[in-house]
Amino acid sequence: MSGGKVIPKPDDLNLELFQAMVRTGRMCLQRCDNCGGHSHPPRYYCGRCFSPDYGFVPISGAGAVYSYTVSRSTAEPAWKDEVPYLTVVVELDEGPRIVGAATGHDPDGVTIGQRVTVIPEKRTEDFAYLTVVFDDGEDER
Amino acid sequence: MTKPAESSNGLSGRTAIAGVGETDYVRGSDESILQMTLGASMAAITDAGLTPKDIDGILPPPGFVAWDELAAHLGITNVRYTATPQMGGASPTAALVTAAMAIASGVAETILVPIGWNGYSAIRPRPDARPNKRRFTAAFFETVRNFYAPYGLRSAPWWYSLYLQRYVDLFDVPPEAAGAVAVACRAHARLNARALMRDKPLTMDGYLASPLITGPLRKLDCCVETDCAAAVVVTGTDRAKDLPHTPVVYLGGAEGHSSPADELTNRPDALRIGLHAAAPRAFEMAGVTATDMDFLQIYDCFTYVVLLQLEALGLAEPGGAADFVKGGAIELGGRYPLNTHGGLMSQGHCWGMNHIVEATRQLRHEAGAAQVPDCELGLVTGYGDLGDGSIAILARGDA
Repeated sequence: MSGGKVIPKPDDLNLELFQAMVRTGRMCLQRCDNCGGHSHPPRYYCGRCFSPDYGFVPISGAGAVYSYTVSRSTAEPAWKDEVPYLTVVVELDEGPRIVGAATGHDPDGVTIGQRVTVIPEKRTEDFAYLTVVFDDGEDER
Repeated sequence: MTKPAESSNGLSGRTAIAGVGETDYVRGSDESILQMTLGASMAAITDAGLTPKDIDGILPPPGFVAWDELAAHLGITNVRYTATPQMGGASPTAALVTAAMAIASGVAETILVPIGWNGYSAIRPRPDARPNKRRFTAAFFETVRNFYAPYGLRSAPWWYSLYLQRYVDLFDVPPEAAGAVAVACRAHARLNARALMRDKPLTMDGYLASPLITGPLRKLDCCVETDCAAAVVVTGTDRAKDLPHTPVVYLGGAEGHSSPADELTNRPDALRIGLHAAAPRAFEMAGVTATDMDFLQIYDCFTYVVLLQLEALGLAEPGGAADFVKGGAIELGGRYPLNTHGGLMSQGHCWGMNHIVEATRQLRHEAGAAQVPDCELGLVTGYGDLGDGSIAILARGDA
């Protein structure tokens, strides 16, 4: 449960991204209608071809660990019972990187490059929480 | 003085720091942010041998205080130019470029660059504290709210750890490298009557015993929360020669940014920070190199960020800062004394304005027990928001 944890109230493009995840129940990214490139966070103009035309499309959520941090201390009461907790920067196979929680994984057993999958979980109509599951099958779900 | 180089933009050597001022660095001030900032500003103006009527430009930081209230309270009635860099802790050093442009172009003659905040009391106010409505805000907070904070990453150590852990893993950076920065800053703070941590010695063993907060950051990798203010006065180099102190000449400087600047995990190389882009331009403008420096005042919000900046300056290869800081090289008496006032780590967090104040004192040869003997040339860096960078290269001028 998320008692006391930050649940954002996104607006603009971030709202569109999260609503796409809530609607489809799948991990989504912004995709340029012109060049097909994916962007995160979403932007009003494509960083490659500068097109203003975009949509939000489901993706597999598959990617690899780009970086991570293991928090052993927190200033947030809502997280105190969870230390040490692992947070991962995932490089999605589509290119963009995204931050998610890997609370089911051994915090001392992570290396850059490990294969993972990002799974969105609906929290509100406007926000989905991103959980990172390691493909090694050792996570406690 | 060191001869200014032929500069591509005509700014090198044209301006100088003529005055500096600062409050004490404390945890729990009786003064408001506005009062502290006014006090440091008036001290800087007085130190320059000037009065508020001589000031015609103000470059305040983002948030906290604005130019108009500073002008009104100080009695500055002839404001001709104002601007505010939007890059957090990189703002004060970046403002020196703006000051140089404004003065060299004739838009303004003498510019006040102030900063002040209650970095301690905003988080841990005294029970009897007056309410404080002044807050810093920035565009990247939107990124934090939506994409970092939901996962327990709500303030700077947690954000920066997202890329610093990659730095540590890719280059096998040992904690002793970060510890060397913490220990050097503390040793220098011990010489500084104005340093918050002056009475607390720190050894490498003490650093290594410090608990991990969020990997790779230990508690002692983080700078100290402080209530403080500092300010400098910049004017034309020719005018500065007629003022009381030896001018500290602005040889070169620049700001630089990684893209996207408002999100730190989606940069092509997350380990490339703004200073990587800024430093080469600043050295070219100044006509000097990093190895010419007599001291380094490096923005030290976190020790590992100092290591990355040493590499961005070209003083070490990627991953090579760990060797660079070994063996006392960054302590007084070493080749590159670093943060000779104690830095944000051990003097106090004044958004790097205290680094500019210290560089000025060093080049005036007024740095007391921390004086780098006969120094002529030094640099200051700034780092802010999610990795914006700034740099100033300063030289001792002709009295």
